[in-house]
Order: sequence, then structure tokens, then C-alpha cells
Amino acid sequence: MFLHQNVAFFALLFMSAYIFVSGDVVNLTASDLIDKSGLVRTSSSAAAAVVNSPVLKPAPDLLFSLNLLSNFPEDLEISEYCNELLHIFGQRYVTYVNCLVPAARPVKVCQNCFSSFESLNDTYENISSNDVGPGNVSCRDSLLRSDRLMLVFLLFNNLKDIWTKSNCDSCIIKVPHFNLTSDTLYFLATLNRTLSCFEKYQQGNRTELCTNCKTAYKGLNDLYSGMEKNQTLCIDIEDAMNMTRRLWSKNFNCSSPREETVAVIAVSSFMLFLPIIFYLSSFLHSEQKKRKLIHPKRAKSYTSLMNIQDKMS
Amino acid sequence: MANITKKVSWSSRTDESGAAGEGTPLLNGSEQPRLSRQQSGGGSIFQIGRLSTVDLEEEITSDEDSLRGRPKEIPHNEKLLSLKYESLDYDNIENQLFLEEERRMSHMGFRCLEISRWVVCGLIGFLTGLIACFIDIVVEQLAGIKYQVVKENIERFTEFGGLSISLILWAVLNSTFVMVGAIIVAFFEPIAAGSGIPQIKCYLNGVKIPRVVRLKTLVVKVCGVICSVVGGLAVGKEGPMIHSGAVVAAGVSQGRSTSLKRDFKIFEYFRRDTEKRDFVSAGAAAGVSAAFGAPVGGVLFSLEEGASFWNQMLTWRIFFASMISTFTLNFFLSIYHKNPGDLSNPGLINFGRFESESMAYNLYEIPLFIAMGALGGLLGALFNFLNYWLTIFRIRYIHRPCLQVMEAMLVAAVTATVSFTMIYFSNDCQPLGPEHTEEYPLQLFCADGEYNSMATAFFNTPERSVRSLFHNPAGTYNPLTLGLFTLTYFFLACWTYGLAVSAGVFIPSLLIGAAWGRLCGILLASITANGSIWADPGKYALIGAGAQLGGIVRMTLSLTVILVEATGNVTYGLPIMLVLMTAKIVGDYFEEGLYDIHIKLQSVPFLHWEAPATSHWLTAREVMSSPVTCLNRIEKVGTIVDILSNTSTNHNGFPVVVQITGSDEPAKLCGLILRSQLIVLLKHKVFVELARSRLTQRKLQLKDFRDAYPRFPPIQSIHVSQDERECMMDLTEFMNATPYTVPQDTSLPRVFKLFRALGLRHLVVVDDENRVIGLVTRKDLARYHLGKHGLEELQLAQT
Repeated sequence: MFLHQNVAFFALLFMSAYIFVSGDVVNLTASDLIDKSGLVRTSSSAAAAVVNSPVLKPAPDLLFSLNLLSNFPEDLEISEYCNELLHIFGQRYVTYVNCLVPAARPVKVCQNCFSSFESLNDTYENISSNDVGPGNVSCRDSLLRSDRLMLVFLLFNNLKDIWTKSNCDSCIIKVPHFNLTSDTLYFLATLNRTLSCFEKYQQGNRTELCTNCKTAYKGLNDLYSGMEKNQTLCIDIEDAMNMTRRLWSKNFNCSSPREETVAVIAVSSFMLFLPIIFYLSSFLHSEQKKRKLIHPKRAKSYTSLMNIQDKMS
Repeated sequence: MANITKKVSWSSRTDESGAAGEGTPLLNGSEQPRLSRQQSGGGSIFQIGRLSTVDLEEEITSDEDSLRGRPKEIPHNEKLLSLKYESLDYDNIENQLFLEEERRMSHMGFRCLEISRWVVCGLIGFLTGLIACFIDIVVEQLAGIKYQVVKENIERFTEFGGLSISLILWAVLNSTFVMVGAIIVAFFEPIAAGSGIPQIKCYLNGVKIPRVVRLKTLVVKVCGVICSVVGGLAVGKEGPMIHSGAVVAAGVSQGRSTSLKRDFKIFEYFRRDTEKRDFVSAGAAAGVSAAFGAPVGGVLFSLEEGASFWNQMLTWRIFFASMISTFTLNFFLSIYHKNPGDLSNPGLINFGRFESESMAYNLYEIPLFIAMGALGGLLGALFNFLNYWLTIFRIRYIHRPCLQVMEAMLVAAVTATVSFTMIYFSNDCQPLGPEHTEEYPLQLFCADGEYNSMATAFFNTPERSVRSLFHNPAGTYNPLTLGLFTLTYFFLACWTYGLAVSAGVFIPSLLIGAAWGRLCGILLASITANGSIWADPGKYALIGAGAQLGGIVRMTLSLTVILVEATGNVTYGLPIMLVLMTAKIVGDYFEEGLYDIHIKLQSVPFLHWEAPATSHWLTAREVMSSPVTCLNRIEKVGTIVDILSNTSTNHNGFPVVVQITGSDEPAKLCGLILRSQLIVLLKHKVFVELARSRLTQRKLQLKDFRDAYPRFPPIQSIHVSQDERECMMDLTEFMNATPYTVPQDTSLPRVFKLFRALGLRHLVVVDDENRVIGLVTRKDLARYHLGKHGLEELQLAQT
């Protein structure tokens, strides 16, 4: 895994012809969140590299002599407008990634970074739109589809995946302007109230905490269950709730204790006792079913019986 | 008097034969002097021909009983054959009426018949699929409500205390459902109890199990299986599907319902056992295919159980019925799941797809699989052994319906109690998955956001538990949970099978096997440093499930194909086959298969593929029943009525003999006639004298026999006046003029082969001059079986 990432990194950095890794990058997107964060880091550096060395005007580099012996003819180069777009895309990409990484733990990727994602998304839409910009060129073809690697598309897709996976859409409203939904805000407020309650009683007795913060915690829990049913959860809320629950159950040990062991054992042993009584009584009182033997009509059947007896003895 | 002489004369030979030998001399009443004379003569010439005039002597058997006191009574055991069961007439009765009708039928007529066979098979598939769909949906809904109620209750009481009330609520809910199921089975249709596979096996083997393919049985079966699955018993709904399919087939193919008294006047040609059998095998196949989503497995199931009557076209039609059934089920389930038109959700039990890479297996795992197969065989034999003793106890002591209902309720309550206790004391908590694979997660004392892992196994319908054992990722269950679960479920399932509820054993076996299989997978991964080579425990769960199921039911080919089809992965064919083979070999060493045990305990005269291995020294003469009650070709009505109403000899087939008038020549065999035919003849009063007096009277046709099929009235319901008793009946037209016969020196295996392969009901034993000397029926052949001490003979008993 690590090796692949490195390969991807270098390949992106040097923009060399060794672009055999594109498949690996796609595979990486399917890996889980931890790998993802690693990938995000990789991508961000790659993005930085892209910004620093735009496609057609590479900065002086070790590989300069190899890479750019000559420029391509005019008509194959991308237009100024597209170059501009690419530049903006790069900047916004960096901003978003810079926002994401610190928000990894505890997860706040939706609440902190939704605006930067939105601007990144805008740029990408500009690039990928069908509209023809100044100079009568569509950047979609030149930026997105000119080569096998399709780097811009790939980069954006990775981030888009993170966005989809974290389910941020359900916490963000888009009209009138981008913001957290009221549900989310309300949840965060309730969460804060609960956490402050925890803080208040943390020093003292744990049982005191359990009793005093129970209402707040239960309110939060119910709110969460309600949102779960409506499917208005994003990763921020899920993570916050998970942490709170862990605090409550593991750290403060406030889950319901196993108290009625005796009652349960009593009831179940009574239940288990019933069949024994049933079988015993039916064994003792029910009359055994007997079968009447019928004697078949046989000619000389004694011979067969005799033979069987012989065989047996 | 005769008895005593006989006994004396035989005593020297039967010294060591004990009870059975003592009984035999008393067989033939006053005929014995004649017999002994023949023996002393050393000849095997029996003057059976005279029997036709003296057959009333058989009534003397009742006198014998009174002579020697009450008939012998023994407790029920496996070495009995019940008189209750008769053979089916799989051999066409080729009498003159039949031949005439066949000759009258044009080429076109036969083609239409062929088409209607296809139509019937399509209908069978369709209706079976519908029934499966109905069962599935109702079970899901009802079980959903039940688990929801219990879950809410448990959640409420976890916090405030009073969980014992939840326990009682769960137990009471379970018992109520099971009570309903048990009452309809025990009081209305006892034949609907159990999985129905043994019964269908017997039917396809050629045994007429009373009421097994009635509409009432179907209704009770369907309702019963819903109740028992919802009632949380350790049962599945797959076995009953096979029975349901068979009933549907038997009903549809007749074009009428005797229970509802509706006759649609279609498919009249199919109203006989031969045709019905073919459709029933199609129905059983359709049932299997609906239950497991395994059309080919269904066909092979029918092949395995009824293979002696088979041909290419029939196989193809059965396959058609199976396919239709699976896809009807898929279609309606897709509508139910709100994506109509999606046909890829086959089967009541869906094992899910085994396609991920971690499910691949390697050569070095094969020995492991075989070892697991051996373990499955051992556990299966233990299961069967326990269930055998339990069933004997049940037959002997718990035979009253109300006791059976009580027992079923107790089992339901105890199942709930044990499950609850297990869940209560389990400390195995797992975090809730993101996509909520657990239908009813129970938290109990786990931390918030986690669920009790034991509850996924117990607090769920068994099918879902199987699926989660197969597919949940590694680490979902800890070994202790699985071990405890296997242990308890093993005993619960063993205890449950054989109750008076309709329910199958497939799913519980799969569940037990999947649990210990998964346990094996986890242990393998933990003992090796690099656990990843053992990949996914789900794979071992599948192998374990196969091993356990194979160890219990001992099916081979069809089970392999069913499992392969249900998993949807052909590459598992080899390991599953190896596992089933090992399980069968190991299991057979200790104990028979569960279905065979139950067939035996029902005292069914079941014919296996071959005659017992060491039976070559037996000949037809020793096997046959003799003397035979024969009828003359032109017989007095009074005689016939007397023979038919004789309760002590409830014969079904009568050789028809012809006596050359005026000569002393013994009578020769000229045909065979069945009780059912005689009854129809008596009912329509086909008497020689009447025919003469009323020339206009309609001639009796084959249709009249078909209309009475399959429930011929008992002889008691037919009134024959004193005058009519003096009339004569001419049987020439109605008897089967070419019955199968064997010489008396034919060996038992040869007789057996003829009987089994042709599906015969009566096989006449004749001497070299074509005189009847005996009759071989199913019970005569089935009584020989290979026991622990060589060849043993089963006894006939009234049950």
C-alpha cells in the first residue's frame, strides 16, 4: 500500500511519462477512511506540485532537459482561460485539503470545510461545463479528457468521494446560501449542553454525574435516534454521538447495570423445570401405546424364519 | 384341534425361533391339515385352486385369537410394519376398458394430453411459488411485529428493571403462536406434522400415506409452518414447502377438489396413481426449488427420491415446473420489496452471494474441509440418535393430541427462555455496523452504540441468523458466543424435530453447522500467526453448515446441488461434495439418516433401492403370502361382498381364476382385480342378471372408475340386497388380464427388482401350470431388512 502511494506521489510530482499507476490510485479510493486520509495527504502534495508546475510551463527542474525539449505547436496548447481555471482549481484544492486534515479527529469535516468544498466544486463545474469560454474553447476536453491519467478528474473525484462518504450533504442546506441545517445546529447545541454538564460533574462522584446528566444525555440520544430515522446524519454528528456515548458508557460507566440476575434465573429455572415435570408425568400417567401384532398368512414361512435363525446363530 | 397338531408337528423346528415361530403355525386355520399333508408329501403342489371356494375360512383368524387369548401386544418400536399403509397403483390396470379407450384415442388426443401435462406442470410451479411467497411474507411480517414488541419491551425494562417480565412476555408470545400451530396440526391433520419430506419420500416410493396430499393438509401445513416459525421454534420453513408443492401438484393435476366438492371436468385422464405420481414428483421439485432457489436441486431431489419411475420427458417437465416456481417466487417477492421485475432474489432461504475474493479456497484447505465433514457426520449421528429415542418416547407416551399441544408449547417457552438467558448473560458486545445488517439489534447491557452479539444469533428468525453467520465480517462473533450457541441450538433443534407442529429441519441443521463451522474458521485463524491465509470465517461457516445438514439428512447429490445453487457459486461444488460424502460415510457408520429413522418409526413399508444384500437364498415361495383369496371370473355377488367386508383380511388385490366347468382341474390364473374396482362395480350394480333384463343400461366406462378416484367408498356404504347377493358378476371386462407373475423359485432380489422398478402392487406367484400359489405385496418385501445381526424380519402390526 505504502509503496503504491509513493509511486503515485512521484508520478504526480514529476509529471513524467510513467503513468502506470492510475489504476492503483483508483483502487486506493476504495480503501477505508484511514487510508483515505493518507491518500488525501498524498493528493494534496500532488496538487501543490501541480500548482507549482503547470502543465506547459514547468519550473526549472532536474528533469527539465528530459521533459521539455520543445514545446508543442500552438494549436495543441491549452488556452489562457483554461490555464487560469486550472490555477484556481489548484488553489481551492489546496485550501480544501488544508481544511480537511486538521478536521480529521474529532471529525468536523462537514461543519468546517463545507464552504471550501463548495468553492472547489464551483471551479470544477466550471471546468467540466459544456460552456464555451473566451477564445471559443471548451476546457472540458483539454483539461479533463486529453490523456489517460485524467489527473484533474481523478483529484477531484477523490475529494468528492470523501464528501459523499462523510454524508455531509444531509447536514448542509444549499438555499438560500450554503450553511449547516437547523437540525444540525440544534444537535450541536444539545451536544454542547451535554458536554458541559459532563465537565461540570467530572471532578465529583461518577454516580452523581450519571444521575444529573441523564436528562441531557437522554435528550441528545433521542434526538440522535430521531435524526437517524430521518436519515439526516452526517459524519460529524455520528462521530460526536459516538464519542459522547463512549464517554457515557465506558468512561463514566453509566450504562444500565445487570441487576436482576436473581429474578431472571428464578423465572428461567422455573420454565426449564416445566418440561421435566411434563415428561415425567406423561411417562408415569399416560398409558403406553401398544401395537397389536398381526400374523401374516404364509406358506411354509417357517423355513424363512428357520433360515434367519440359522443365520443369526 | 388342528392348531395343536400343527404345533406339535412343528415344535421341533421352531424351538429356538421363539415368539415369532410360535405365532406362525396358527396362521391358516383349518387349512393346516391340508398343508401339513402336502409337506409330508414333500411336494410343493398346493391345491390353491380350491381356495376360491373356501376363502371364507379366513374369518377363522378371529376365532384363533379367542382361542389363544388376546393378540400379542408390544410397545411401539422401529421393527414393525403398519397395516395402515397400502401401495399405490403405479402399474396401469390394463383391462379391456382401458385398452378400448386408448385405442379410441387419436394421435391428436395424445398430443393434447402432452400439452396439458405441460400446462399442469406450469400451474404447479406457479402455485407453489405463490405459496412460498405467501409463507415468506406472512412470516416476515408477523415475526417483525413479534420481535419489535419484545425489543421495545426489553429496552424499556433494561433501564428501569423488570427484565424477567420481558422474558415471560417473550415466552408467552412464542407459546401462543406455537399453540395455534400445534392445535391445528394435532387436532385437525396430524399428517401435516414435521417436515413432510419423509411422507413425500414414501409417496414417491409407492406407499399410500392416508390424507397426505389433501387440500386440508396443505392448509394446515401452511398455517402450521407460519405459526411455528413465528413462534420462534428452532425450525425452518423449507421442508414443508416440499410437502406443499406435492399437495399442490396432486390437487392441480386432478382438475378437481374432493374436499371442496368442485369438479372442473378437466384433466380427467390424469385421475390415477401413475399420472398423479409424476405430477407429485414435479410438485416436490417445485417445492425444493422455491425453498432454496435451486431449480436443478429440486429436479435432482425428485430424482433421488423417486428415481425408479423416470424418463427424459418427465425430467424436462419437472425442470420446467421448478424453474417456474423459483421465478414466480422471485417475481412476487420483487413486487413485495418494491422493485418489480427484479428476478434475482431467489429462494426462501437466500444464502447471499459468496463472491468476494476472501471466499476463495485453496488446495491445502481440502483436508480441513474433509475433517469438518467427518465432524458433521458425527454430530449428525448424535442428533439422529437422540431424536430417535425422543421420537420413540413420543410415540409411546405422548400420543394424545392435547399432550402434544402442551409439549409443543413447552418447547416454545423453553426456547424463548434459553435464548433470553443466553442473551442476558452474554458479554459479547459489538459496535453497530454502518449499514445495519442486524434487523433487531438488542443493546441490553452493552455500551450505547453497541449491540449484543448473542442476540443476532438468537433474537432473529433462524434464516437470518444463518445468513449473518455466513456473511458477517470476521470478528463479529467471539468464539465463546458461537460455542454456547452451537451447544444450545443443537439440543433445542433436536428436541423440536418431531413435535406436532409442521416445520422443517433444514434450517436448524444449517444454523448449527454454520455456528460451529464459523467457530472452526475463527480458531484456525487464531492458531496460525498469520491469520490471513485462512481468510474468511464465512467460508468455514458454509462448509460446516453443509457438513451438519449432510450428517443429519444424509442426502447426497441433490443436497450438493441445492447448496451450490443456494450459494450461487459453482466453485464450491467440490468442497461441498467432499464434505457431504464424508459426512454421509461417517454418519452411516453410526446411525441412519433422520428421514429414514422417521419413516421406520412410522412403520411404513418402504422399499429401498435394492433387496437386502444377504437375501439371495430367499425365494418367492418363502416371501409370498399364501393362501390367496381368489375370485372366479364369474363370481357370486354375495361372495364378493363377504370377502370385501371381512375386516380381518383387508385385502386389496384378488387374482381372478377360471375353473373349467365340470372338471376337477384346479383353477388357473386369468387376471387380477382390485378392491376399488370391485367396489365401483358393486356400486353400479354391474350384475349379469341385471344386464340381461335391462338391455338399455349404459355400459360402465373407465370414467366411472375415475370419478370415484381417489376416495373409493368403503364397502360398508354400499348396500346390496339379499336378492342381489344371489346375482353373478362377470369380471372379465374389468380385471387386468395380464398381471405380472413370477415362478415360485424366483429369488428375492429378482422379485424385489421387478416390484420396485415397475412400481407393482401385487405380484402373483404361480406354479408351472399357472395356478396361483401366492401373492407378493409390498409388505412381504419390505419386512426383510438388514439389521445389526444380519437379515431380520419385521412384524406386521395394527397401528
